[in-house]
Amino acid sequence: MAHRHVILGASLAGATAAITLREEGADGDVILIGAEPQPPYERPPLSKAYLRGEVPFDKALVRPAAFYAEHGIQTMFGTRATRIDPSARVVELEDHRRVSFDALLIATGGRNRTVSIPGVDLDGIYSLRTVQDADRIRAEMIAGRRAVVVGMGFIGSEVAASLRQKGLEVVAIDPSKTPLFRVLGEGVGQTIAKLHRDHGVRMIFEDTVAAFEGTRRVGCVVTKAGLRLECDFAVVGIGIEPAVEALADSGIHVDNGVVVDEYCQTNVRGIYAAGDVANHYHPVFDRRIRVEHWQNAIKQGAAAARNMLGRRIAYDEIHWFWSDQYDANLQYAGFHTQWEQLVVRGRLESASYLACYVNAGRIDAAVGLNRAKELRRIMPLIKARRPVNLERLRDESVDLRSLHEIS
Amino acid sequence: MAAEFVTTIKTNEIPVGGVTAIDVRGTRIAVANVGGKYYAFDDACTHEQCSLAEQGELAGTTLTCTCHGSEFDVRTGKVLAPPATVPVKAYRTRVEGDALQIEV
Repeated sequence: MAHRHVILGASLAGATAAITLREEGADGDVILIGAEPQPPYERPPLSKAYLRGEVPFDKALVRPAAFYAEHGIQTMFGTRATRIDPSARVVELEDHRRVSFDALLIATGGRNRTVSIPGVDLDGIYSLRTVQDADRIRAEMIAGRRAVVVGMGFIGSEVAASLRQKGLEVVAIDPSKTPLFRVLGEGVGQTIAKLHRDHGVRMIFEDTVAAFEGTRRVGCVVTKAGLRLECDFAVVGIGIEPAVEALADSGIHVDNGVVVDEYCQTNVRGIYAAGDVANHYHPVFDRRIRVEHWQNAIKQGAAAARNMLGRRIAYDEIHWFWSDQYDANLQYAGFHTQWEQLVVRGRLESASYLACYVNAGRIDAAVGLNRAKELRRIMPLIKARRPVNLERLRDESVDLRSLHEIS
Repeated sequence: MAAEFVTTIKTNEIPVGGVTAIDVRGTRIAVANVGGKYYAFDDACTHEQCSLAEQGELAGTTLTCTCHGSEFDVRTGKVLAPPATVPVKAYRTRVEGDALQIEV
């Protein structure tokens, strides 16, 4: 029987799933529906090389625009889904069309979190998620202008770096003690603060925005502590929330995103989720995790497609991401929320280190600054879930690959 | 100008399982030693120009650029895993005595 596969979200996860379905021999229809008007693209360049005008948009496309038709993938871009009816096996679109499915993948991603701060609707205040967002910020990026970056998570940190690289004056503000504090903690966060400080970013921590001021257009950011930051524009990067509106009243379990098992399947048989929107059960860490990164979008999109084809393959990738800021290459692998010990190879004060978040003698996660090779070598140790010899882990003369043997 | 084999370094300067970069007539070329077979390709990753000799991790004939995770087949330069989408240019090699020659 021919099967109809419908994918909501022409995202990296959604596109990868469509491509994988075809590569792995799906018969029947593959229909890719996305709210954004352009073909699926990768978002990492939007805060980095694309934002700086160093690469054209085409370079960010997941596949050339013609690829989908050539491979029998029907596309409906610029089309938002408004409702999913699991019992009728139908998706409703905003133009009231109805698309039936046998298997459905939800890869709708997220949308930028907003705040209700006085003045937030003034012109010249931006957030960054889509290529249109990036284009708007790019249009403001003229050397010598003054920008305020609100939020020093990954997007804020990368945008601050790109703005400095283009010669703008940057003030960044974050409620935590350091950039990337929530994920990486204070010790590592301080090293990122130093990186930005060394590149001329003025940083304000443990303070938040009280108001944006200006007539029509923002001209000043006022903080709770009473600072007045004159600026030409502002970029707000305070995280995303999963895009789950279409699931309202569907009976599909939503809790911090779409809840799925290790086979990327929701509580409704035949309905799957992948990418930023999917709060997935991770068998290695024995808990649910929702991840907003490039590698997860690709790997989980592909895994969901295989499970849509009935392969029954558990998704157990060790999550990994990179964040390039200036000339520094920051990478993270694994998963942690707290840690008993931070075991550091090298020194946090230096420009190159690997820091491991250790609980009960096991490495749950690691972050590397300019330590790409070691970060990759430690991933099997994270996956193994076995105690490691922490003295040898700390010893830089020890090749991490030798720690794979049971210690 | 027609391609020709150019003598570069001694083969014993490239450890088994290692990748070494050399300048050959103005081009930075990486050479991988896979169990005594030598494969040459452009040193710059096609994704964001990381040095594959410095950042590459070789396992069999697969080279991972650890900067951002792209994977290449050292025999052909073909992309095995993204984010890179463009193959690295591969060069023919041969061994003359103890010297490695690369066709450029």
